[in-house]
Amino acid sequence: MVKSRDGVVRSLGPYLLLSAALIAAYLYLPSVRTVAQSAAVIGIPIHFLASLPSTALKGMQGHLTTADQLRSDFEAMRQRNLILQARLHRFEFLENENARLRELLSSMPSQAEQVTLAALLAINPDHAALAVMINKGSADGIFQGQPVVDSGGLVGQVTKPSLFFSKVSLITQEDQAVPTQVARSGLRTVVYGSGSGRLLRVPYLDRNADVRAGDLLVTSGLGGRYPPGYPVARIIAVERNLAEAFMKITAEAASHLGRDREVLLLWLPTKETPALQDPMETEEDDD
Amino acid sequence: MISVNSAQHRSWIPFATVFIALVLQVIPTPELIRGFLPDWVSLVLIYWALALPDRMRLSFAWVAGLVIDLVTLGIPGVHALSNTVLVYLAKRLSLRVRAYLLWQQSIVIALLLGIELILFVVVDFALTGSLGEVHRWTAVIVGGLVWPLVYLALRRSRHLANLGR
Repeated sequence: MVKSRDGVVRSLGPYLLLSAALIAAYLYLPSVRTVAQSAAVIGIPIHFLASLPSTALKGMQGHLTTADQLRSDFEAMRQRNLILQARLHRFEFLENENARLRELLSSMPSQAEQVTLAALLAINPDHAALAVMINKGSADGIFQGQPVVDSGGLVGQVTKPSLFFSKVSLITQEDQAVPTQVARSGLRTVVYGSGSGRLLRVPYLDRNADVRAGDLLVTSGLGGRYPPGYPVARIIAVERNLAEAFMKITAEAASHLGRDREVLLLWLPTKETPALQDPMETEEDDD
Repeated sequence: MISVNSAQHRSWIPFATVFIALVLQVIPTPELIRGFLPDWVSLVLIYWALALPDRMRLSFAWVAGLVIDLVTLGIPGVHALSNTVLVYLAKRLSLRVRAYLLWQQSIVIALLLGIELILFVVVDFALTGSLGEVHRWTAVIVGGLVWPLVYLALRRSRHLANLGR
């Protein structure tokens, strides 16, 4: 018995110590963190191979669709493009007006955000955490905490930039919180991840707060991490219980949470953007 | 143990299988089945630890775990630690487990994966304070269920490699 315990210590001990030392070094020494992020380049062939099936499937879809279908798809996209363009014209008008009004108020104009397109490499890289891997890294100027959006709305933020790819934590992760406001009423609240699926928690809204099912929650820009005006979640159900101080609200993420093949990375304009004047901006986005 | 010395050993094959498992581990998967996918690298490491306990080095398991941590941008050392313990246990049990029937092996494998998961959850909780990984108990059970397939596939690869008995 004693002998076998000795065996455990002798064979397993060094590895346990080594692991513990590595974890501690990673947590407390920034240089080790940099080294680990650079060493992640060994993952590039692995991620490349892992993305082959979905890439091949995508290529096959192109071959298998008929000319008719392509034509109808094209037609639908052309129409959609027209509609979007019309909206864009109005948006440009509003933007100009907004800039003028801001000038009149002599407040800082809100600059347009810079964006970069990134493709998804992997979804849930370790099968567990609600995260996606994208094909842009610190070599492309990606930084920790960078907001990520897709066509539906806010996806999450970059939590682990490596040299050529990065990990994006989805807003549905349990430890993620997004400062938002209700697009309709301007009411501010914080949305938390639920840890599974597409659902989000909105725990701290007073039971008399002006919220109803179908309301859209958009980023408020408070906290300075996420730019204002991006859709975060849509409220599915509101449960008012007289016995409790807060409402029970179920909300669903507005974005596709990394189910699109591409996502957009945002650069916030400049540091001195006045985060506290944002409510005005989001009102206009809405209609 | 009878070793087959006449034919050429292809000792790169175990490495290749671990590499394939690594690719499988990071493959993009539909949301629905995501939580049920087993830890392929762990399964492959268990197989080689059971089949070739004398050749399987703990250092190999440690490095494989480290690669997982680096590739998935996790905290380096966490998978390394849990994989090393897993392989150590598998090596210790190898003589007994090899005599079991496949379905009995499945149960042992699920237990091993469960121990690994508990270890992983404890370390993860200590480091990040989140218990999110607990969801993966389903993957542990699925890991046990797919063990016969993994076993048969890897046994073929071992014969191809001319390793072991």
